[in-house]
This record gives sequence, structure tokens and C-alpha cells, in this order.
Amino acid sequence: MNERVTTVADLRKDGITARFSAWLSQERIFRWIPFVMVEGMIICVLIIPFILTIYISFLRWRANRPFEQAYLDGFRNYEAVLSDPGFWLSLGRTFYFAGSAVILELIIGFILAMLVHRIVAGRRIYITIFLIPMMVVPVVAGYNFSMIYLDSGPLNELLWPLTSLLGINPRIRWLSNPLAAQWAIILADIWQWTSLTFLIFLSGFSALPPQLINAARIMGASRAQVFLWVELPLLKPAIVIAIVIRSMEALKMFDPIILLTYGGPGTSTQTIAYYLWEQVWQFNKFAYGAAASILVLILFSVLIFVGIYLLGRQSEAVERGEV
Amino acid sequence: MVLSPDTASPIQSKRQAMRKSRRRTIVRHTILILWGLLIMFPIYWMVQTSFKDSGEWVTWPPNWVPHSPTLQNYGQIFTFDITKEGVARQATEQPFNIWGALGDSVLICTLSALIALFMGTFLAYAISRFNVGGSKFRHSVLIIRMIPPIVIAIPLLMYYAIMVPLAAETVLGTRISLFDTRVGMSLLYITITLPFVIWMMLTFIEEVPYSLEHAARIMGAGRMYTLRRVVLPLVASGMVVTFLFVFILNWAEFLLALTLTHPDVTTLPVLLNKFQSASEGRLYGPQAAIGTIITIPVIVLGMIIQKHLIKGFSFGTIRK
Repeated sequence: MNERVTTVADLRKDGITARFSAWLSQERIFRWIPFVMVEGMIICVLIIPFILTIYISFLRWRANRPFEQAYLDGFRNYEAVLSDPGFWLSLGRTFYFAGSAVILELIIGFILAMLVHRIVAGRRIYITIFLIPMMVVPVVAGYNFSMIYLDSGPLNELLWPLTSLLGINPRIRWLSNPLAAQWAIILADIWQWTSLTFLIFLSGFSALPPQLINAARIMGASRAQVFLWVELPLLKPAIVIAIVIRSMEALKMFDPIILLTYGGPGTSTQTIAYYLWEQVWQFNKFAYGAAASILVLILFSVLIFVGIYLLGRQSEAVERGEV
Repeated sequence: MVLSPDTASPIQSKRQAMRKSRRRTIVRHTILILWGLLIMFPIYWMVQTSFKDSGEWVTWPPNWVPHSPTLQNYGQIFTFDITKEGVARQATEQPFNIWGALGDSVLICTLSALIALFMGTFLAYAISRFNVGGSKFRHSVLIIRMIPPIVIAIPLLMYYAIMVPLAAETVLGTRISLFDTRVGMSLLYITITLPFVIWMMLTFIEEVPYSLEHAARIMGAGRMYTLRRVVLPLVASGMVVTFLFVFILNWAEFLLALTLTHPDVTTLPVLLNKFQSASEGRLYGPQAAIGTIITIPVIVLGMIIQKHLIKGFSFGTIRK
């Protein structure tokens, strides 16, 4: 009642604002306020820049000249990008890094989650410790590994018995050999992101219905059979989610590369993100970089579409209770 | 004679099974402890390097614990010398000083996380109650998170550094650039973390029964009043978790901060990277100290929200 009185008083005192707020709180208006706010933000900060980039990608423009002197030049930038072997090689490398890292992360994360799920004592401590790498800032993780991979760093010290046995110089240069540098980066990624796959699988394991597994055990199924025919199918959504999320993240890989190798030795650790960064920020090829980023965006939108579709299908299946 | 094997074997097999299961447990614990050591090692190495004197940073064989622990590295990055010589030295040794970057990081991350939290919660509420944007909206909003940040960085560089100043000059008559500003970084961080806020807050808001709001509305409460006094208190803990999560994301963000700021604004990850690319001998000690300073708050915050992370990352695989 009190509330009513104040609103009426407000209405008399300040007609326009009160009427405006009454208009705003109508359901057909009110429901769109946050939507318009967020969409406006996304349009201003992301969509307009993308349209600008499409325009710039058709320009002939060097960074040392002012923007006003640039002129339209057709698809020349796109041709240049597509005929650059560096672009294709870094794209291939990105998939190679992401593929190797994600497969190993899935396997290790799955095994760890299974082991932690089966034990009782000390479970919480293990979970807490295993989740720490995920929280370490990627740049700090890159820095940590750059210390560990030093010529006179702890890794070479740990390998010293082995290297002295084989008669190799114990001060192995991990980041100077192309293959070693590639795997150094993959290992750093595994160190950091296995905790995420572990987390996803652990929540998958803890959602398994125990009655079903007990029933299967009682009916005489062996441990391996239960795992293969009961647990694994039930874990399918978790596996799909882990694959989609980790692949999307791994394909963006940039931070460890800039911290560990700067794309080197040569170009052997350049991923697509590093390649684009180098073209624009080191070589100042803005129009070229714009064209390349549009191409990468097109490629990624296909992958994103597949990823979203898979995620959506899994969560729908869970909601329907099919799995 | 006939009975004894029958009675003995179950006990024996039980004992055997127990022994077997104990051995299994030991094997499990061994593997898990090994992995735990492997995981903690890089962090341990950083923390102990941060207490080493410059002579101990790189030695062969490396020192596993600092022989003469020192706080010198922390002293170096936290210098806050306002005497004349101090200011002069800070100007030359600028990358040592952490205060500027710490301030920028805290300001940008907190501000953008708060704004994203309120906008995202509001939209999540609208999606949950009025089904704004259709049923596919909540999936499609995640697309923003999946675009590689470098593909966002290139357009934004040109937008912030070229188009915004040009537009401001023609409309307002003054050059305003968003490149290398705290406002520019915050706007970007708000936009790219909104999807996470919406996604996380949706799960919390959908747990609030609609009948409560309905009752409040019937009793004459306005829409904003209902939202503020009925819905928000019920999702307050969820908002705290979401805020911390978004804060951590912003805190760790590197690529966009590296590419869209150069001399004026520096976040902590960018500061750490500045040391890395230094050509005149790397300063491992101060770097380790900065790394420790960046990491510790995040790990503490992460442990606070750990339980919710497990729930949040299940993406609907855990049934209620």
C-alpha cells in the first residue's frame, strides 16, 4: 500500500520520467532492454570492427602511409595470403599442435579422473592440486617452462643420469631444435590444460548412476565389461564436451609460443595466431593481416559451427535423459 | 574333509581380494602422487627462483633450493622510491616496477568484470524469464568465446587506432583514441566475457522459482524492485562465483592486452612478457617474483570457487 502511494506521488511530481519508467516496465519493452544493451555492446565492439576489417582487406595500404591514401585493390591481398606457404604451414602446425596436445590431454585427464573417482582417501587434496595448473596464468606457465627448458635448467639436470649413460652432452638445447621445440610447447600445453579435461571427466564420473553399475556387477559383468559397456557410453557427453572445448582453445595457441620460442627456431613453432601477430605487429602488413584474419575467421566459423552443434546435441540429450 | 575347503576358500578368496584391492589402491595413489609432483614442479621452481640471488638464477648444476634466500627480487619489483634519485632510477629501470601494471590490471579487470556481471545477469534473467532471443541464443552467444582472440585483435587495432579517432575528429572535432587506453581494454574485456557471464548466470537464475517474483509483482512491486530485492539476493552467491571467474579470465588475458596497448597501459602478463623479450640478459629473479605475485591471488580465488567450477564445467552433464 505504502509503495502505491509513493508511486502516485512520483507521478504527480515528475510526470515524464514516471511515465517513461512505466513504459519501460511493460513486458514487451522490458524484456528487450538487456538484450539491446548486450547486443549494442557486441555490435559496437566486435561487429563494426569486423566490417571495417573486411573493407581494409580489399585495400592496398602500407603502414608507413596514412590511411587516407589507401585505395581499393580487389582480391590481391587474399591472393597473396593464399599463395604464401607460411600461412599454410602455420595452419598445418596449428592443427598438429592442437591435435597432439588434445589427444594426450584427453587420455591423461581420463585416466586421472578414473583413478581419483575410485579412491576415497585424500580425494579432495588430489582434486585441489590437479586443478592448480588451469588457474596459473598462461603467461606465467610459459615463463615457468622457459626456466625449466633452460640449457642448464632442472630438466637437463633430471635427465643427467640418462644423458651421461648415452654419452650425450647433458646440456640439451630444448628450444633450439625444431622438433624438440615443438614438443616443448605441446608439453607445456599438456601440463596446463590436462587439469581442464580432468575436471570435465571427473564431473562426468561423479554423475554416473551407481545403481546401474552395481546392477551390472551383480549380474556378473567383469570390471572391464562394466567400464566398456556401461560407464563409457554414459561418459560420452563428457568426452564430446572435453574434445570440443579443448580443441577450440588449443587451436588459438599463442601465449606459450611467444613466451618460449618466438615462433623459432626458424618458423618451426609458428601457429596461425603467431603468424597473424607477426604479419601485423612485426611486419606492419595491415591489409594483408586483415585479409588473412578474415580467411582464418571463415575457417574457424566452420569449426565453431560444428563445435556448437555437437555441444548443443549433447546437452539436449542429457536434458531428455537419453544418455 | 569335504567341508573344510568350502569354508576355507571364501575367507581365503576374500583375504586375497582385499590384498588385491589394497595393492590397487597403492598403485592408484602412486600414480596420482607422481602426477601431483609433476604438476607442482614448475610452480615450485618459479617460487624458489623468486627467492634466489642473481648469481643463483642460472647455474650448472641448478640449485634445487636457494642457498641464500633473499627478498631482493620482491624489493626490486615493489620499489616505491619517491626521492629524487629513486624517481630517476625508476625511469631508467622502468620494467622493474610492478605498481603501474598492478594498478592497471586490478582496475581494468575489476571494472570490466563488474560491468559484464551486471549486464550479463540482466540478460540471463531476460532469457530465462521471457525467452528473449529464442532458444538457440544461449548457444550462439558462446560463438564469441570460440573466435580466436588474434582474429579479434586485428580488427580492433584498426578500429581503435584508426576509425575511432577519425570518427571522433569529424564528429567532435577532437582526436580520441581507444588504442592503449584503460577504457578501450575494459570495453573489450566486457564484450568477450559477457558470454561466460550469461552462460553461468543462466544456470543460477533458472534455479530461482518464478512464483516468488510473481508474488512480488502481484503485491505491487515494480520490475526493477522485484529484480533487485527478490531475484538478486537469491543468486548473490552465483554472482560472486561468476565475478571471480570472469576476473580470473581477464587477469590472465594476454594476447589482446599485448596487441592493443603499448606504452601507456600495461597489464601484468604484458609486463612479465616484457622481461622475456629483453635482449640484455634475462632477469629471471624479478620475473619469477612477478610470476608469483600474479599467480597466487588467482590460485586462492580459484580454490574458493573450485566446487562451483566443477559444476560449471560439467556443461549440463551433471543431472540435478
